[in-house]
Amino acid sequence: MSGSVNKGSGWLLWGAFALPVILLILSLNLGSYHIPLKEVWATIVRGPAPGAAAASPLTDIIFRIRLPRLLLALFAGAALSVSGASLQALFKNPLVFEFSLGISYGAAFGAALSLVFLGRRFPPQLSAFVFAIMAVLLVLVIAGKSVSQIVPILLSGVIVSALFQALLSFVEFFANPYALQALIFWLMGSLSQAVWKDLALTLPVIGLGIIILILLRWRLNVLSLGDGEARALGVNVKAEKALVIAAAALITAAATSVTGVINWVGLIVPHLVRMMVGVDNRKVIPLSAALGASLLIVADDIARNAAAFEIPIGILTSVVGIPLFIVLLKRSGKIWL
Amino acid sequence: MRVRVKNLAFAYDDFRLEVGSLDFADGRVTAIVGPNGAGKSTFLKCAASVLPAPRGSLFVDGKDLTDLRGRERARLVGYVPQEPSFTFNYTVLDFVLTGRAAFLAAFSSPSAHDVSLAEDALYYVGLNGQGGRLFLELSSGERRLVLIARALAQGPDVLLLDEPTSFLDPRHEVETMSLCRRLAEEKGKTVIVTLHNLEMAVRYSDAMVFMKGGRVVASGAPSEILREPLLREVYEIDMKIVECAGQTFFVK
Amino acid sequence: MRSVERLGFVLVVGILSTLQAKASFPCVAQDRPPLVITDNLSRRVEIPGRVFRIISLEPEITRIIVALQAGDRLVGLDFFLRNQDHLFPIIYPAGRKLPVVSNQGQDLNFELALHLRPDILFSSPSEDKSTEAIEQKLRVPVVALASIGKLENLLNEIDVLGRILGREGRARELLEYFRTGIAAVHRVVGDIPEARRPRVFLSFWGSLLRTPVVYEPVEAAGGVNRAAGLIPSYLGTAAATVGVEQIIRWDPDIILIQGNYPPGERLVTVEGVLGDSRLASLKAVRSRKVNYAFGFWYWWDPALVLLETRYLARLFYPDLFPAFELEREGNEIFKKFYGVEGGITALSKVLNCHEWLRK
Repeated sequence: MSGSVNKGSGWLLWGAFALPVILLILSLNLGSYHIPLKEVWATIVRGPAPGAAAASPLTDIIFRIRLPRLLLALFAGAALSVSGASLQALFKNPLVFEFSLGISYGAAFGAALSLVFLGRRFPPQLSAFVFAIMAVLLVLVIAGKSVSQIVPILLSGVIVSALFQALLSFVEFFANPYALQALIFWLMGSLSQAVWKDLALTLPVIGLGIIILILLRWRLNVLSLGDGEARALGVNVKAEKALVIAAAALITAAATSVTGVINWVGLIVPHLVRMMVGVDNRKVIPLSAALGASLLIVADDIARNAAAFEIPIGILTSVVGIPLFIVLLKRSGKIWL
Repeated sequence: MRVRVKNLAFAYDDFRLEVGSLDFADGRVTAIVGPNGAGKSTFLKCAASVLPAPRGSLFVDGKDLTDLRGRERARLVGYVPQEPSFTFNYTVLDFVLTGRAAFLAAFSSPSAHDVSLAEDALYYVGLNGQGGRLFLELSSGERRLVLIARALAQGPDVLLLDEPTSFLDPRHEVETMSLCRRLAEEKGKTVIVTLHNLEMAVRYSDAMVFMKGGRVVASGAPSEILREPLLREVYEIDMKIVECAGQTFFVK
Repeated sequence: MRSVERLGFVLVVGILSTLQAKASFPCVAQDRPPLVITDNLSRRVEIPGRVFRIISLEPEITRIIVALQAGDRLVGLDFFLRNQDHLFPIIYPAGRKLPVVSNQGQDLNFELALHLRPDILFSSPSEDKSTEAIEQKLRVPVVALASIGKLENLLNEIDVLGRILGREGRARELLEYFRTGIAAVHRVVGDIPEARRPRVFLSFWGSLLRTPVVYEPVEAAGGVNRAAGLIPSYLGTAAATVGVEQIIRWDPDIILIQGNYPPGERLVTVEGVLGDSRLASLKAVRSRKVNYAFGFWYWWDPALVLLETRYLARLFYPDLFPAFELEREGNEIFKKFYGVEGGITALSKVLNCHEWLRK
């Protein structure tokens, strides 16, 4: 009986939330600068000592390089997964995630526009968010009345994504060579630029959006029945749908404006979760956050440690996620239906 | 709950629904019948706000539904669709739980009280203990019962059921309509169903409404309004009304 | 003299002076046998005897052509060099009048290219998809050349282009000058043992984390490029992307930032690096040995490469090269290569490079 979250799934949820935290702590030990385990703990206990005089590479590495990067992986992974899961429920569509609604490329275009024309001093998150919302609205307008059907909305999403990719090329064309180099580098998707200054704005925004979506998790069950039925059940469909979409776009935009475009996480993680625990969003939403965070931490560990140079993380999320998906698919014999 | 309809109008594409005045008695089952495209489903959907914002008024127990906020309206009127439009494979209990939406704030989740109400509803429709099964694995008849259970969990006094007997085998047809009668008689609900099957309509309803082309042609107790000329006007074929073994049959 | 002898004398002098005249104006009707060269994409290209109309989409090659004093043979350029390069207008002002035949990363304007009737086209090796297409559509030989950080390759290019253009003499002159300049540095630093050479980290292309795996001016100046030997992240270029931890692990003695951008456009700056809290423990940061270098700028400029090498030598070993002055030497080198006065002084107005040695 899954009427309420019973004791068994209570343990599951707590365990699931512990996983990314454990992975984060373990990953603090990984990096191209080898620090023995004891030293890692000693450095953490010592704390981030300010002041250049006391600067030892260990403190810098743990607190200024690895920790912000791992936190970004945790938050971005959670953001993309929760956003994907929520949009899938809302649009009753297993193939929907922030990429297929154009949010990713809308956010990327917005951030690029800001970086190229307004420079690094202006936070790109704002522009990213504005264009992410614009992308979703465009998708809804193009899909029109058939917004509840799978194919039309995917088609609209593809069109809008393509539009923003084209606009992105336009920005590249007008960018001065310097900004262009930086832009191309950023677009490949990477967590290597995680600095506390960027995270100070991004992490709280992501946190807020995730909390909103987790609070709405049961409501998504109702909204996933479709506009007509949900309305008949007494739900303010317009307002609540808008809230879900805005929250999903917000966290995707916030994550994308720092990391660039990281694909597939929002599609695969919710499916993996549904295969494991069923489709009740009371479990799917929080577990997607936890699993997505863990997945991205693992992927980033590989990205920065597997070779002497940095592997773009978008490649890794596909390489790690897709086989996992196929294995689970074969095992369960069906997707999530 | 008395339901009174006044000047309800709704239009889409080239179809117009116009209902000047209609009353539904409480504690009774009213069957809305008519040919395809008569507007029966549309009427129900307008009443339940499945279709947004029709013109006109729908009074339930003296309150105009169009003035009410969604949550208040849902506590008065419940809607049972023929089939859910598309659904994830929820468990039966989770599915019925969604009926509690009108009683929960947007950021809340169901409490143990909500769960027990949902379980009660399942018990009433005869699906006791089936809460853990997956919705898409049920038969059509069982799915129909789950939809009714959801409406029950919602707790309104007016139940609107759209073609509740379609796609069902005879046994499940009878079960569903008997359930409708029990809801009216035992629980005092105002039950409004749309039906294709005239025999079912006559057998299980206290009042009938004939619709055609978006308008009401006749309404009243079957014994009062059921006449062959009416049938010819509504269905455009000749039908004979035959009484046999205490039941009414329609021979085309 | 008798009349026959006089006639003979006149004839011989006449013939000799005609030959002499030919030697000074080799662009007039000097045929040579066809050349076959192998370009960066391992394509064997046959170059016809007469090469008088050149489209160059590879800025490095364009600059070499100008240095070989064959700039008047250029009929078409790429977008970047004509419109965005701050150095090209200084070394070849006439280039402003040349038509743009391609845009950055865009396809060639084939119709315009055909209209210009080129004898040959030079392209970038990193755009190999278009090279074959161009050759097929234009039916002219297309050569993809770039030196990608290696000095020998750059010198080879000067040599090959000298032969293609029939400017061997001038090419030899430049090569001699170049090699002398490098040798002068080598004489001083060549014997310094490996262990005492400064370890250098290069931050190029507008990002702290992007570094060239090959940049020989560093080695030629007696330094060691920390990223040497890494596999480039972007094939066909010399660029690799590393992590900040990697830089800390390397702990270079000197950090060089690409300064070939106007100061307002620089995304990575000396001040930025010195103030970056993640890098506070590096010895280069603590001893403030963070400087600008010229670096790549849409491939190389041969004069700037020579200047860079001598400049880096001064940076790495200030005591061994006390007499070095960036502006003076730069102007000399530019005069030799391009025949312009005050080339580096003009460049300094854009890049502020005269300040780089002032601390």
